[in-house]
Amino acid sequence: MQFPEIWLRDNCQCKSCYLPQTRSRLPHGWHTKVQVRELSWCVDTQRLHIDWSDEHQSSFELSWLQARDFAPANRKRYLSDCYRPEPRHWSRQQYPQIQREFVYEELLQSDEALLQWLQQLAVYGLAMIRQAPLELNVLQTLCQRVGFMRRTTYGHEWHVSAQPGASNYAYLAQPLPLHTDMPYFEYKPSITLLHTLQQSDSPGGWNLLTDAFHVADLLRAEHPKAFQMLSETPVDWADIGSEKGLSFHNIWRAPVINLDVHGRYLRINHSVPQRDSHFSIPAEQVRPWYEAMALFVRLANEQACTFKTTPGDILTFDNLRLVHGRTGYDDTDRNVRHIVGAFLDWDIAYSRWRVLKQSLGYNN
Amino acid sequence: MLSLRRRLWQAAAASLSRRCLSVRIINERNIELQPAAAAAAEERLIFPGVWLRDNCQCAKCFHANSQSRQHDWDKFDTQVRPLQLQLNAEQQQLQVRWSDEHESSYGLSWLRERSFEPQAQREYLQRDYRPAMRLWAGAQFEQVAQRFDYARVMSEDAALQQWLQALAVYGVALLHGAPLDAGVVRRLAERVGFIRRTSYGEEFVVQAKPGAQNYAYLSTPLPLHTDLPYYEYKPSVNILHCVVQTASSGGSNLLVDAFHIAERLRQEQREHFERLCSIAVNWNDIGSEAGQQFHNIWRQPVICRDADGAYTRINHSVPQRDSHFTVPLEQVQPWYESYAKFVRLARQDAHSFKLQPGDVLSFNNLRLLHGRTGYDDTEQNSRYIVGAYMDWDIIYSRLRVLKRQQ
Repeated sequence: MQFPEIWLRDNCQCKSCYLPQTRSRLPHGWHTKVQVRELSWCVDTQRLHIDWSDEHQSSFELSWLQARDFAPANRKRYLSDCYRPEPRHWSRQQYPQIQREFVYEELLQSDEALLQWLQQLAVYGLAMIRQAPLELNVLQTLCQRVGFMRRTTYGHEWHVSAQPGASNYAYLAQPLPLHTDMPYFEYKPSITLLHTLQQSDSPGGWNLLTDAFHVADLLRAEHPKAFQMLSETPVDWADIGSEKGLSFHNIWRAPVINLDVHGRYLRINHSVPQRDSHFSIPAEQVRPWYEAMALFVRLANEQACTFKTTPGDILTFDNLRLVHGRTGYDDTDRNVRHIVGAFLDWDIAYSRWRVLKQSLGYNN
Repeated sequence: MLSLRRRLWQAAAASLSRRCLSVRIINERNIELQPAAAAAAEERLIFPGVWLRDNCQCAKCFHANSQSRQHDWDKFDTQVRPLQLQLNAEQQQLQVRWSDEHESSYGLSWLRERSFEPQAQREYLQRDYRPAMRLWAGAQFEQVAQRFDYARVMSEDAALQQWLQALAVYGVALLHGAPLDAGVVRRLAERVGFIRRTSYGEEFVVQAKPGAQNYAYLSTPLPLHTDLPYYEYKPSVNILHCVVQTASSGGSNLLVDAFHIAERLRQEQREHFERLCSIAVNWNDIGSEAGQQFHNIWRQPVICRDADGAYTRINHSVPQRDSHFTVPLEQVQPWYESYAKFVRLARQDAHSFKLQPGDVLSFNNLRLLHGRTGYDDTEQNSRYIVGAYMDWDIIYSRLRVLKRQQ
């Protein structure tokens, strides 16, 4: 085990440095040049004692130190066990192996089932829940089991059914091409939940879902120029309209493929109807971007898995990662489709995942 | 400002019909629009053909009700070329016949608003997307912190727009004259859109609570920090309504523009700046609220920038920095030295002032650090602040709608 001196001084657990009731470091006056004067190990109490050059004394428990060891393997373990599990990307062919089903009532009753569902969503970005009651408050109950729903301009829950004269494109019965929800928000809703109350008997109304991180992997490996174009060109995503009398005008500028400083995927933005006609980039970049985008769309279509939900299903997926769509359907009085939707945020879902892992003893 | 520019456009469009307007295909793919044959090169507008085809405004390609593109993108031909152009000066329309047999028509003012000229794009982004921020030093606080009347913000759209604009540009704005009831922050947030909920609920009360699980709920000094750095989706704007203020000498607010501090560090001590931009820190919060346990962690550097180097967010909170520090050992000591430099600069630059009952302080929680001096909390000498958060997505949307209404 290895620990930097300054970090140990910063994390002294004594009463004047640390407040256990709030689990917080207290404001301190120590200097960054502070050094260890004397170290001792107490075998009986299994504690490390340190005398510091600023006359302070600290004491650390062995298990506390072990959990925070700076060795690369321990850091890796901490990040995947406690921070966020490592995502695994999947192709259309791999879909049958990665897909998992959960039973609604078990998610409500069993913490273990709830943890497994959140784990599946975190790792694969997709999970199906079966046998939910055909009631309007189901998503409310499920989200409360995790934390709380994410509210957006469209409210807490929304209903997808054909509405003539709809102001949102998703409310029409036409085919809905692959897209992510709400790319026009800086804080895009993380997890989409779709509860099927009624399904169309017509041949249409099938769900399409693609792991767009896998599509990005394909582009990165086989079409590096297109990958660069899509990860560096900012696009104006927009939504202009009104809901319940309140007008909105949302715009967010970001590339289709969003990377962090280490080149890892953060988020995918894609929605043909919600891509603004304003395109605030130099004119000469426009054509190469369109060609790269057409490639992305073609690959995303090729990699899409398809299925049709039945009443009582709740389809849940990572909206930062997957693109989803729907084939068209005939909407008549006798042939209706009614889906209730809601969102959850990853901050809230991961918090619940950590609390469950801790309480079920996975991290001991 | 906007309406003036609109009028200028309208005037330009009107003059276009009188002057000799010309249009031509260049490089087989693009379309060039020129006000007059002899006009200077910078007055020409060049539109990429593929973009124009993608943005065809006909009923088949564009769903006007939902303001959405609706042509079948799975079959979109990126090699599409314009074959024939026609300018209708009377109707102020450009008509295009395409290599895929389609025909489109575009309004000249619609085209001008979507010009690909760099200057026009900059103006569009500042006007319709997000206004440019102006950074400030603590000594400039009195000049940059604008004050608005609560009742006017609640009743007049112009006042609401001015408040939100000031908040966007300077990251801080004050309201005065608010009633002393607990519903003020909710009414304000609902005037804009809606409250952003967190693990701590929708509204929160900041007052001394013995045995509090959150460090802010103590009467000890609260060092400079941002709220909730442990969220990926960190709340954007903090609204704090002062209902009761302590009569003791403490309880003052401290505010500093941390983008300004970051910029000073970048210019004066590049090495420290780079470290604070690149080394990820674990921000965390473990506890429970209303019976619901939470365990929040978000890993991110102190200074966050986008791909263009623009500042997007500052993370800083001594109590909420996790003892788990998941970085290579050799980065730890240098990081601490850089962080200490940042904290010292911020503390030296912080402006101090004291809210009075009826004041509402609003500030950008992604940009500013805030803190509070300690105060004596007794039964006769208390302090009661109601707070809530709003998100920039919702605020900017409201600001755009208000600007359009003008």
